[in-house]
Formats: sequence, structure tokens, C-alpha cells
Amino acid sequence: MGLFKEIFCWWGGNTWGTRLAIWRQGRLVGEDELGNKYYEQKPGRTGPLGRPRRWVTYKNLSEASLVSPDWHGWLHYTHDTPPTKEDYRPRPWQKPHRPNMTGTREAWRPQGSILAAGQRPKATGDYKPWTPG
Amino acid sequence: MTKKLIVDGKEIEVEDGTTLMLACEQAGASIPRFCFHERLSIAGNCRMCLVEVEGMPKPAASCAMGVGDLPPNRDGSPKKIFTKSPLVKKAREGVMEFLLINHPLDCPICDQGGECDLQDQAMAFGCGGSRYAENKRAVEEKNISPLIKTMMTRCIHCTRCVRYMTEVAGVEELGLISRGEDAEITTYLERGLLSEMSANAADLCPVGALTHRPSAHAARPWEMRHTESIDVTDAVGSNIRVDSRGAEVMRILPRNNDAVNEEWISDKARHVVDGLKAQRLDRPYIRRNGRLEPASWSEALAVVAEKLKATAPDRMAAIAGDLAGAEEMFALKDLFSRLGCRNIDCRQDGAKLDPKLGRASYIFNTTIEGLERADVILIVGSNPRVEATVLNARILKRYRQGGLAVGLVGEAAALTYPYEHFGNGTSALADIAASRHSFADKLKAAHNPVVIVGQGAAARADGAAVLGLAASIAAMAMAGKDPEWNAFSVLHTAAARVAGLDLGFVPEGGGLDTGGILSAAFERKIDLVCLLGADEIDMAKLGPTFVVYQGSHGDAGAHRADVILPGAAYTEKSATYVNTEGRAQMTAKAVFPPGEAKEDWTILRALSAEVGTTLPYDTLTALRASMYKTAPQLAAIDQAPAAGIDGVVALAKISGQVSAEPLFSPVRDFYLTNAIARASAVMAEMSALKNSTMAAGRQAAE
Repeated sequence: MGLFKEIFCWWGGNTWGTRLAIWRQGRLVGEDELGNKYYEQKPGRTGPLGRPRRWVTYKNLSEASLVSPDWHGWLHYTHDTPPTKEDYRPRPWQKPHRPNMTGTREAWRPQGSILAAGQRPKATGDYKPWTPG
Repeated sequence: MTKKLIVDGKEIEVEDGTTLMLACEQAGASIPRFCFHERLSIAGNCRMCLVEVEGMPKPAASCAMGVGDLPPNRDGSPKKIFTKSPLVKKAREGVMEFLLINHPLDCPICDQGGECDLQDQAMAFGCGGSRYAENKRAVEEKNISPLIKTMMTRCIHCTRCVRYMTEVAGVEELGLISRGEDAEITTYLERGLLSEMSANAADLCPVGALTHRPSAHAARPWEMRHTESIDVTDAVGSNIRVDSRGAEVMRILPRNNDAVNEEWISDKARHVVDGLKAQRLDRPYIRRNGRLEPASWSEALAVVAEKLKATAPDRMAAIAGDLAGAEEMFALKDLFSRLGCRNIDCRQDGAKLDPKLGRASYIFNTTIEGLERADVILIVGSNPRVEATVLNARILKRYRQGGLAVGLVGEAAALTYPYEHFGNGTSALADIAASRHSFADKLKAAHNPVVIVGQGAAARADGAAVLGLAASIAAMAMAGKDPEWNAFSVLHTAAARVAGLDLGFVPEGGGLDTGGILSAAFERKIDLVCLLGADEIDMAKLGPTFVVYQGSHGDAGAHRADVILPGAAYTEKSATYVNTEGRAQMTAKAVFPPGEAKEDWTILRALSAEVGTTLPYDTLTALRASMYKTAPQLAAIDQAPAAGIDGVVALAKISGQVSAEPLFSPVRDFYLTNAIARASAVMAEMSALKNSTMAAGRQAAE
């Protein structure tokens, strides 16, 4: 995202204030598979809560659900070891992370919703029409 | 002899043979019961009907105790019976508590919930809670039929199902084994019930041990709308109740009518329901370039009208099928006679029944209720067990009372009661008619003889002569007896047939009958054929004829048709059906026809306007008024007026060459006799099961 857009259209992505704070105080901790970058305050410094501040800058849209569960734990101080320092392998049955799809075509439609594609569940009054051939 | 009793302070006088329960009911007291059922033998094993009898140390089971068994009081005063005393209340609470010891508390997931005798009576007569803390008994599931779902843990051993299967259905396949806590209802062998009316056992079950599998967990009884209607899957005209929810028929239950079906219906009548939701014709179709394509009503009617106008009256024909109501047959006949066409026939099986001989020549004159007075029955070319299941149960009921002799001319079959078999061919018939046969003497000696003639005898090339022979046997058997008694009884297999014959939906003045229409169509002498739900004819014989099919289900007729006009099934219209006894009964509209389908008479009315010969009725009432002028017997709803014996005498005069070919029942597969049943997955499953079980039985026999 260009600097011009960051200054005048700040609501779509990172603000220039964040960029300034990270440039002054942050160090890069790692990057996830979507390209979001994670930063932490340089050693010795702390934020208003008395611990080092942690930031994420999104590759494209600022959307909190884009943070995958492994980075989510580090970002929210659940644990201090970032995923880059761990050798965690997801189990085969674990599904890849999906961001919140509300408002998009892939939004979740409950069973029976008229907006859902595909087969709707059987309802009272259904019948199977005859078709020739 | 009568006996005086004082029930709850009210003095009544009852016949000596009545039971205490009936006596109490005559006095206005209501007695709770589980095992007792009016139409079954008395078992007396549930103990719910306990009453207090003066002078007896313990309460008595009122269903099993005869009034005559009560010892008289010393001073000769009438016995006092108490049905509301503290002793009776305590006894009922005790029985209820014992019954509920091993009954699971699964009412919320039980299909019987809402119509459960145990639930109702636990509320009315039970005590508040249970003192039983031990483990409940569990019973293994039984796989007894695709139609009956079992949950035998719920069983309270009333044995209604066992008695029903033995006494009414006539197959000894269900029984109670072991005793005490280990008692179980089971089929003795691991196999399904082979009865055409097994599903009534689930109706009789007072708890949820036997429920209907096809309608399992589909609906609760209180959320369904009840419509009282008539069954059309056979010609008995069983009274049914159609339960629907919204736009869907959920289930069909029997309705009590002592004159017709008592309270039983066949499995086909009950479980044909899912056929009403499959293979439906829900829009008009027109064949264009050899392919049937969806069309609008106006297009389809315009095409048919144009064709009707362009065709000479003697080059078109109409055949009515087995499920057509009287109203649409009347409208179709009216339309075709206005067009000048005489080639109409309602006997798609080619039966040689002639309405000109009089009504007595084609109805079941004895009436179904009358069978209970019969003492000698001769069955000709029929298998009543599959052709008219409920009527067969009536014969079994009569047989169980003793003193009934049954003879059968035609294909041998398992009829649930023993009979003398006089060969598959027709030769015995001529012998009986000429009094050269021992059975002729039995018929002559009988008080109330019956000659049942099936469609297997009537629908033959020599059908008229066979019918004549049977009628002469009936006339011979009736001679010099009660003039009210008519022995000649034609057993129909199609619900529409008697109404069709009543309306004269037969060729007149040189018109062609079904066989004639088919051969003329094959020889290209007929250009247009209207099929009103007629699916059981040989479609290949129609050749290149333009075929208009009006009906509710996509079956043989729809596949062959050039124009399809979608009609309503019997649950979707109010129509008159006349059963084999000549009893006119009316169906009621439970749900609307699917999609663009319309009630059948309205289609014909719209078509007549399109052709330019508008039929003079705009409402069903006006149509019926007009119909009743033609056939006044159809106006006598729910009655079976006696038809006299003139028709039988006229039929007996018909004689001709009778071929020696064997007589066959026209119903080859009980479960698949009409288009609705053929669309039903449940009926297909039952048919396959029956065929495989029969094949296995034959293999074991070899």
C-alpha cells in the first residue's frame, strides 16, 4: 500500500501512526503464511500495561480474524513464545485457518437458509415430480 | 335370560352372556383397559379393568367375567358392582404401578406419544410416582416387518397384536414366548410378517411397542389435520382418515365403518402414502419432435382441443382407469357424447360386465356385512386375500364362528381359511351349474349361499359366459329362499369400476370396448385416445395414435402420452367412489394437488370450453346434480341399496362356449396394483420382501 493511500485512506489498512510507532520502537518477530507481520517492542521498553507491546500489520485489509490461531496466542499474551520459535506441526485433522467470511459470498448460511446454495433440507409438502425420460 | 345388576347405584338389566365390562358400560361407567378389544377375543391379562363386586373378597377383571358367573346374593337381591370405590381406585393404581415398572420413560422420543393409552391412563388412574428403584427390564429389538417398527422394551404384554394377527389377519406368525418378566412378543422365526393387513397390529398396540415404521418420527398426532376420506387402492372402499400437515399427507389411518371395513385397512391402503409424493405429474406436457416438453395449461388444452375438433367422432376413444372418480368419468362421458363419440370404456381390464343387464349383475349383492350371515361360499376366479383384503378378513371372521363351507374354482391360494378346491379350470363351474357336483347340493341346502365372482373370471374372452354360469349357480342356490338374500356377488378390484358401470361409461350403439379400441388403434382406425388415469392397458397396442393422458402419477400412460394433463390424486379432490357392494362414498380434499395439477373434473370442463361444447356445470355441486340425474344411486352416499335379483336372472340367461383355460386372479402383486402404489418406495420394498420370502419358502419346500 502506498504511503499516499496510508495517509489519506487509513481506514482500509495500517495507519501511518502505527508505522511510525513500530519504526521507532518495534522489532520484527515473524511473518505468517498470509504475509501479516508481527512486531514486539524492543527489549527494555514496555507499554502502558507494563509489558512489551505487540503489533500486527496486515498485508492487505486490516481484519482481526486474519490472524491465525498460533499467532493469535502470542499476540494476545496467552504465551510468550512466537510460533517461529516453536516446531509445532498441525495434526492432519486440523483444518487450515479461515478468516471471518461474513459479508462475502462465502459467508456461513445455516441449514434451510434461502441464501444457501445446493440442496435444501426436506420440508413438509415436498414431492418428487415425474419427468419424462 | 336377563340378569339385574346395580352398577354404582344404578340398576340395569343385561343379557346373561354379557361381560361385566359391557354391563358397566351400559350403565354409563367407563372402565379403563389395555388388553380388551371389542373385535378380538378376551385375554384378561392386563388387569386394568378391575371392578369391585359385592361379596367377592378381591376385585374382579371385568372384561373376562361374565354376568352369568356372578353368584347370587343370599337374599336374591341384584349384585352391586362398584367402579369408583376406593378399592377400585387403589387396585388401578397398583396395576398401573406394576405396568410402569418395566416401561421406559421415553415418551418424548416415542411415536405413540399423544395417542398412547398408557400415557392417558397413567394420567387418569395412575399414582403420582414410582417406588421402583431397581433396574428396568430391557428386551431385544425385533425385526418383524418393514411396516412395523418395534421397541419391545415398551411392551406391556397385552397380546392384542398376537390375537389380531391370529384372529383377524389369519396368519399365526406372532406369539408370546416365555413367562413372567421374560415374556416377549415375537415372530417365532426370524422373518417378517407375511400378511396384507399386518399394519393394523401397530394401531391396536396401546403403547409404543409397535409403531408405523414408514411414518416414524415424522409428525406428532396433535399437529396433523384429520380429513375423513375413502380408500381407492381396492374396490372395498375402506373408510380412512387422512392425516396431513401443511401441504403433505403424513399418514393414513382406518376409520370405523361396521358395514365396510370394521376398523381395519390393508397395508396398501395405509402405506401407499409415500406414493402420493413421488412420480407426480405437476405440470402439463406436450410431445414435440418426439420429446415431452413442459407446457402451460392453455397450450396443452389448445393442442388437445384442436386435435379433438379435427378428429372424426368414430375415430376417437376414451378409457377410464382404476382410480378415476365418478365426477370426472361423468364429465368425460358427457364431453365425448356431446362430440358424438361412442368408443368409451371404463373396463380397462376387459371385464365382460354389462350394466344394461341391471345393477345386480355387477355388484357384490350379498354386501360385506352380509357375509357374516353366509353359510356356504363359492369363490370363482378370485383371490379375495389380495383383491379385497378387508373383505377376506370378514370371511375369516365368519369362518371362525363355525359352520362355513368355502369352495374355490380357480387358482389355489392361501386364503387364511380352509376351502375345498375344485380345480384351476372352469369345468367344475358347469358341473355345479348342472347340479352334477357335490357342492351344488351344499349350495342348495344353504340358508345364505354366496357366489363370489372375481375379475379373473369376468376379464376373459369368454367372461360373459363364465359370468352367466356363475349367475345361474347363484340363481339355483337362491331359489326358494329368503327373497331379500342375493347370492350373486361380483368382487371388483378397481375402486372406479362400479361407478363407471353405474354411469354407463361403456360403449353404446356399436361403440368399441377396451379390446376393440386397442385393436382399432393398432390398425390405425383410431386417431385419438383419451386415457383418464388408465395405466394398466397395453400401451404398445396404441400404435401411432395421439394419446392424451390425464392422471396424477407418471406411469405407463404418461410415458406413452402425447399430451399430459396433470390431475389430482384421491387425497386431493372430493370425488365419489362406489365400492364393490354398490355403496357410494365420497373422498374429501385433504391437501392441494402439487404444482399446477388441477382437480380432474375442472380439467375436462376447461377442455370442453376450448373444444366449443361447454359442459353445463361450473361447480362441483352443479356437476353432481347433473350426475345424480343420470345415476341416482350415486346420490345415496354411504348406503348400499339392494339391487334386486332381476340383473342376476338376466345374466344367468347368457350362455356360451366356456374355454377350459385356468382362472387367474388379476392381482399378481398385491403391493403394486395401481400407479400410486407403483410410485411408493414402501410398497416396492414390501413387494420385493414378499417375493424373496416366497422364493425362499419354495426353495425350502423343494
